[in-house]
Amino acid sequence: MKLSEREDELEQLLVEREVRQFLNYEAELLDERNLHEWFDHVADDISYRMPRRLMHENTAASFSEKGYYFNEDYGSLEARVKRFDSEYAWAERPPTRTERYVTNVVVDEYDDDEVQVTNNLLVYLSRGDSEDHSFYSAKRHDRLRRRDDTFELVDREILLNQTVLSTDNVSIFL
Amino acid sequence: MAADDKPKVPEQAVQDAREALDEGFFPLEFFNDDDLHELEMERIFGQAWVFVGHESEIPEPGDYARRYIGDDTFIFVRDESGEVNLLFDSCRHRGAKVCRAEQGNTSHFRCPYHGWTYKNNGEAAGIPQKSKAFKELDREEYGLAHVPRLETYEGLVFASLAEEGPTLEEWLGDFKWYFDIHMKLPEGGMEVIGEPHRWVIDANWKTIADNFNGDSYHTAWAHGSVLDLELGGEETVGHAGTGESMDRHIHCDGHTTSIRGFEDEDVFLTYPEEVVADLFTKEGLSEGQWQVARQALSFTGGIFPNFGFLHFGDTTDDPNKDVAPFFTIRKWRPLGPDQMELWSWGLAPKNAPEEFKERMYKMYTSNFGPTGNFEQDDVPIWKGITDVAGGQFASKQGYQLNYQMGLDWMSEMDLDEEWDGPGFAYSENLEEGGMRLFHEQWYEMLAGNAREDAIGVPMNIKEER
Ligand code: FES
Ligand SMILES: [Fe+2]
Repeated sequence: MKLSEREDELEQLLVEREVRQFLNYEAELLDERNLHEWFDHVADDISYRMPRRLMHENTAASFSEKGYYFNEDYGSLEARVKRFDSEYAWAERPPTRTERYVTNVVVDEYDDDEVQVTNNLLVYLSRGDSEDHSFYSAKRHDRLRRRDDTFELVDREILLNQTVLSTDNVSIFL
Repeated sequence: MAADDKPKVPEQAVQDAREALDEGFFPLEFFNDDDLHELEMERIFGQAWVFVGHESEIPEPGDYARRYIGDDTFIFVRDESGEVNLLFDSCRHRGAKVCRAEQGNTSHFRCPYHGWTYKNNGEAAGIPQKSKAFKELDREEYGLAHVPRLETYEGLVFASLAEEGPTLEEWLGDFKWYFDIHMKLPEGGMEVIGEPHRWVIDANWKTIADNFNGDSYHTAWAHGSVLDLELGGEETVGHAGTGESMDRHIHCDGHTTSIRGFEDEDVFLTYPEEVVADLFTKEGLSEGQWQVARQALSFTGGIFPNFGFLHFGDTTDDPNKDVAPFFTIRKWRPLGPDQMELWSWGLAPKNAPEEFKERMYKMYTSNFGPTGNFEQDDVPIWKGITDVAGGQFASKQGYQLNYQMGLDWMSEMDLDEEWDGPGFAYSENLEEGGMRLFHEQWYEMLAGNAREDAIGVPMNIKEER
C-alpha cells in the first residue's frame, strides 16, 4: 500500500503524537510542582477520580464501586491545588521529588474536539534526606479536549495497582 | 536514667515510665524500641479488645474480609446462618492460608496445599482421601480456629486474643455513653461506605494514639492550610483554648473524646436540616446525650488501645460549596516499633438519602484518609517523631517529652461539675491528660497489671480529691 492510501493511519499517528506531547508536558509540570500552570489545563467540567483498588480472588482489576481516594470536581481540585500554597501544607514542605513516566499511550477514540486515551503512569517519589523512595504505578483513562493549540483535561480515571498504599499520604496529583 | 550505656530491659524501662508519667514526662525512645514492641504485642495486642470491622462491611452470608490483629491474620466472615465469625487464617493440616483475597463472598474456604475445605463458619467440610488417609480424624475437631473472644457493640466488631479478661462491655465501660451518640443518633444507625483505606507508614502506633486522645493543641498549626483555604471553620480547626466554642476534653474509663460545640444551639454537626428532621432520634439516647449531640460541632476520640474516631461538622472540599459533616473510624495496627498500617473507614447514617451518603464520604476523603487535606499533613509528623526516637541520642540522654499541659502546676484546669455524662469533663481543651491516660494504661498493661489500675481520677486532680 502506498503511503497516500494510508491517510487514516497517518492522521491517527499525528493525534497520538499530539497526545503524547501533551501528557509529557503535563508530567513535567507536575514533576516541577508547577501546579497552577497544570491546573490551567484542567477543564471546568473536570471529573478526576482514583477509585480504591480491590484484591479479589478471580479478577485482576477490580475497583470499589463506592470507595475512592479522589473523586474531584473543578472546585475541589482547585482547593487541593491552592492548599499547597499555604505555608502550613506540611506534606509538601519540602516538596516530594517525583519523576513521572508516561508510557503505553493508546488513543482509543477521537474526533475533532476530544481524544480518549489510555496510558500507563509510573511515578518515582523520593522524600526527605534519605534513600527512601516509593512508586505509584497506575493505568489512566483520560479524555482530553482541544483548546487553542493544546489540550485540557476533561476526565481522568487513575487505576492504581496497590491496594495498600506504601506512602505516608498522597500529596501529589497523578 | 541518663547516660546508662547498657541496653535497658523492657521491664525496667516500663518501671521508669511510671515515674516519669507522674511528672508529665514520657521518654522519647519509647516511640521506637524493639524490645518494647515485642512486649506491646504480647501484653497489649495479645490481651486487649481490638477493632476488627463493622458488620455492614459483610452484610450477606458468605461475605468476608481479611483482617489483622497485631501480626495475626483472620477472616472476618458472615456465615450461612448470618453469624459473624473471626477465623484464624491457617489450615489445620499444615498451616497454609486458606483465604487469598482481601474481601469477597464464598460458602467455603479451600486450602490450596492439600485441599482441606472449610465452611464459612469454620467447620471442616472436606478432607481429600479422608477414609484412607485420615480415617480416625474427627472433622468436628478440625475446623478453622475461632478467635477466643468476639463481641459486637452497635455493629462494631471487636476481638480479643485472650481467653479471659474483661468483656467488651467492661472494656468500653461508661465510654459507651459517648460513643452511643454517634452510633445511635440516626435512626437505623451508621454504616460503612466502601472499603477501608489502608496505608503503611514508618511511624510508631503510639504517635497516632496520642493524637486521637486529645491533641486539640495541634490542629491550628498542623492543619493551618485547611484554615487558610477555609475548608474548615475556625471552631473546628482553630486553636485550642481560643474561639467561641464550648470545648470539653472527656476522660472516661480509659478512653477519651474531645468535643467542640455551641451552648444552647442546634448544631447537630452541621448535618442538613432534612437529615436531622427525618433521621435523628432521641430514641436510645438520654436527654444528656441528646444535648451533647445537639450542640456538637466536632468530636475526636480514642478507644484504648488502637481505635480512633472523628465526627466533624463544618468542613468542605471547596470553599464555594456548603459545609457538610463526615464520620470516620480508624485503627492503627503496629507492624514493628517504627511502622504501622493505618486503616480508615468512612461512615454515614444507614438510612440517609444515597446522595447525602456520597457527600459525607466525599467529605471524609477530602479531609482524612491518605488523600485528606488534614491527614496528609499529620502522618509525616508522626514519622519524624519515630525517626528521632530510634537513635542513640534519645536513649543516652534520657530525652523526655513534655505532657504537662493541664497538670495543676502548669495551668488552671477546671472540671465541669455540671457535666451530664460519665467520666471527667475538662471545661476546656488546653490539656494533655487524655494522652497521659493513654500512656498510663500502656504502662499498666506492659507491666502485666490490669489496665483498670490506670483508670481512675485523672492525675492532675488526684491531689485535690
Ligand atoms: S495445609 Fe491445608 S490441606 Fe494441607
Ligand atoms: Fe491532625
